[in-house]
Amino acid sequence: MISKRFVAKRLLLLVPVLFGVATLVFAILQLSPGNPARVIAGQRASEEFVRQIERELGLNDPIYVQYGRFLLDAAQFDFGNSYTIQRNTPVRQILRNKLPVTLELALYGQLIGILLGIPLGIISAVKQDTITDHLTRVGALSGISIPIFWSGPLVILVFAQFFGWLPTSGRIDAQRFSIEQVTGLITVDTFVQGVDATLSSGFAVSHFAPFFSAVEHMILPAATIGIYSMALISRMMRSSMLEVTRQDYIRTARAKGQGAKITLMKHGLRNALIPVITVIGIQFGSLLGGAVLTETVFGIAGIGTLLVQAIEVGDYPVVQGTVLVFAFLFTLVNLGVDVTYSALDPRIDQ
Amino acid sequence: MACATRSTPGCATPSTDRGTIVSADEDGSQGSNRGRRERLSRIRLVGFAGAVGLALGVFGTLVVATTGADGRGASTLVFSLGALAFGFALLGWSGSVAAGRSIEATQAHLDTDTGWTESGSRRAMARIGGFGAGVMVGASVTTLLV
Repeated sequence: MISKRFVAKRLLLLVPVLFGVATLVFAILQLSPGNPARVIAGQRASEEFVRQIERELGLNDPIYVQYGRFLLDAAQFDFGNSYTIQRNTPVRQILRNKLPVTLELALYGQLIGILLGIPLGIISAVKQDTITDHLTRVGALSGISIPIFWSGPLVILVFAQFFGWLPTSGRIDAQRFSIEQVTGLITVDTFVQGVDATLSSGFAVSHFAPFFSAVEHMILPAATIGIYSMALISRMMRSSMLEVTRQDYIRTARAKGQGAKITLMKHGLRNALIPVITVIGIQFGSLLGGAVLTETVFGIAGIGTLLVQAIEVGDYPVVQGTVLVFAFLFTLVNLGVDVTYSALDPRIDQ
Repeated sequence: MACATRSTPGCATPSTDRGTIVSADEDGSQGSNRGRRERLSRIRLVGFAGAVGLALGVFGTLVVATTGADGRGASTLVFSLGALAFGFALLGWSGSVAAGRSIEATQAHLDTDTGWTESGSRRAMARIGGFGAGVMVGASVTTLLV
């Protein structure tokens, strides 16, 4: 049973965390060189025009006024309008369009990591010091060691260029299908709208052809980040499982005549999962951040790419909004991890 | 006076403190005294750091303003530096509270005790946060006055 007090305490902790992140982002952007008004006006604009933009944006106000205004707006998820990337478009709207792209990628990557990592870790622990264990460990070590900017182009080269099985980039075959964005998650949108999807030329196609196209496009990027995630999860699962299987209660269960598999899955897995869940939580956060590389390699326009662009062109509202949304998601995932802990081991919320 | 309930003054189970038996009333007043002392200690900790920060904020803004930067630039620079410290402290404090005693327990379990404690971390972060907030206030006050 999950204690409501525990969840409430964790939710309350979100407030200082987000307040701290907002303050840090504000301070860093204030300290960074460059004038946003100059960025908006352009390098050739007159000094008068730049001053006028500064006045309009409130950049002339004392710093504490700007800080207070920023905090108040951020508390309402209002980050203002983009300066340059999508001029005058509310940042909230830009994030609403881009965030699902990255979330979808991170979710599928994490799913691949969990689905492969946990069984591999268990097998590796059960068959300790056998050839299976050695192979799994080498695989896991390789997965951790190979950076995404190398594994990404490698899988493109092998599976897209050499074998021609999968597409190289993008989220869907845009030349064939036009899909209306509803949730922003392309696999969900194409699945739901499959029946209505039409070719750009107007001809109806197989109901789920757009969905299959979206899945095909998702496989390589999701696998690229999933392999990295899988490697960490399987290593942690192995060591955690090995520790649990040496505990007295496992020996007792076996002595009482319980089968090895049931003992392992019923008593061992639940306890061994606790540290693994920590890794999954932290990993999910880094997947969101690490999606920048994957998005760049596979030409996916998600929030990671948006953040890099916004930093490059000095689009402060977009940077602030993106970082705060990242922080919010990360803290939410950690909250989920904490709640899962207490569900797995009720002693944790004491 | 008959004891109707345990909450009646003087009727709760006596407890021991430093080896002597004390009544619940004494125990309660000692507890509230200790609570008050802890609160005062916390206020003193944050207050002192805040006062140092405030002085440094005022001084820093004036120094930066007199060494070339315009008033607004000086205020922005000093305020932002204070905000960096304040934001960092907020994150560190939240992290310490969220981690609880798990880091201490892990270190003890691994026999790698470094002397790091959750309460020590919270105190350090409160001090840094107080200092950062002081600098921010100092820079703002200087902007208003000068």
